[in-house]
Amino acid sequence: MPPTKSSAQKSTATPRTVAAPEAPPTSLPPVLSNPDTIETYKALYDILGRAYWEASDLNAKDTIQGARDAIYQILTDLNVAKLEANTALFLSLKSKIKDSNKALDKIKDDINNITKNIATASSVVAAIAKVLSLAPALA
Amino acid sequence: MRTSRTLPGLLCLCLLSLAGCSLSPLARNTAAFSSAASLVTDNTQNAYRIAVRLNEEAQASLLVARFDSPQPMDPHSIRPLIDDKGLRARTDVLDGLRTYAQTIADLSSGVSSPELDAAAAACGTNIKSLGDALASSTPIGINITPTESNAASTALKALGEFLTARKVKSSVPAIIRDMDPTVASLSRLLSSDIDILRDQAGRDYEQILAQEDSFIRHAGSSLSPSERRAEIQRLPRILSSKKATDDLLADLQISINKLAVTHHALAAAATSKDTSSLQARIADLRASAKDLTSFYDSLSASSK
Repeated sequence: MPPTKSSAQKSTATPRTVAAPEAPPTSLPPVLSNPDTIETYKALYDILGRAYWEASDLNAKDTIQGARDAIYQILTDLNVAKLEANTALFLSLKSKIKDSNKALDKIKDDINNITKNIATASSVVAAIAKVLSLAPALA
Repeated sequence: MRTSRTLPGLLCLCLLSLAGCSLSPLARNTAAFSSAASLVTDNTQNAYRIAVRLNEEAQASLLVARFDSPQPMDPHSIRPLIDDKGLRARTDVLDGLRTYAQTIADLSSGVSSPELDAAAAACGTNIKSLGDALASSTPIGINITPTESNAASTALKALGEFLTARKVKSSVPAIIRDMDPTVASLSRLLSSDIDILRDQAGRDYEQILAQEDSFIRHAGSSLSPSERRAEIQRLPRILSSKKATDDLLADLQISINKLAVTHHALAAAATSKDTSSLQARIADLRASAKDLTSFYDSLSASSK
């Protein structure tokens, strides 16, 4: 079991909303794209949850949980659709990050060329030294 | 002769000072940013894994609960919270961010390289050979001592480092600036994902809790007293895990937001000498990311 962390200021019931980069394209039915509708479903799920724990009769609990399961599946499908919409945005960011990494690779290449130029100069000096070492024999 | 012997040493000192002094703040900041970004990236990838696994558990729990009901659940209807394509897209982007952060750190701090050292050393050796060849094949009395050839190697290494440093200084800050809006967008997108994961994880735990409760009640006396006791004891543990997971995701969201703010400060500091506020932000980001990493480790340890 994970340890419990202290977080007095954090809410566990309602996640904070942070604006996404752009409005995500969504394949949801229009009625389920409406934030009010989604909030209403969430509220209903929570109310049914409280009713489940307050009910003392097993049949009543089963009936309540059956309805709750259906809402859970709707809300899960909504979240799956939202995450799919975000996937499209991740794919668009992927190319931008790739471009930056390519530009950095180009700088790496330029730096490698500096080393190569020094190595080339070294080879030229070595070649001249070799020719000169042969010169007395040729003379 | 005395002047010619001291010249290589002076040249080295001059070049080394040029190469060494101007880049250290950029190198230090990019290295610190890379280290913190790597932690946030690891934590985010762990969070996706935890959320997907939790949702699978909740769906499996629903499958069990409905198994004997008039409307049993079709196992084929179980879908992952994030499919393979979605996970791959997120992993690729996070790996790309990690590579970016690591590369700017490597470029900024990597003015010295084994290849450059080898090329400079070879050049010094070859100059010595050239001197020897000139001395033996011509009447010119050139004698390049090992000290002078080593000085030439050092000077060439310093020149290489200076040119490298100049290249980095002229190119890397511009790339960091250009990348800043992308990092900001990525941060908002990751934060949006975390909002969804927190929302989903809360209900996943509630489902697991209710199904566990229903299982205990339906099982009735078919469970032995000790089995029943153990199952009932799971209920508060599920609630505790719910809170811990939500805290974890909330902290991760804070770290992600700090990452964007820190990168923005890095972009600004890349062209400025005042990096005090950036260093504070990096320290803050790193502390927050490390705290999360310890927590993930404790999660892994407790699940074994």
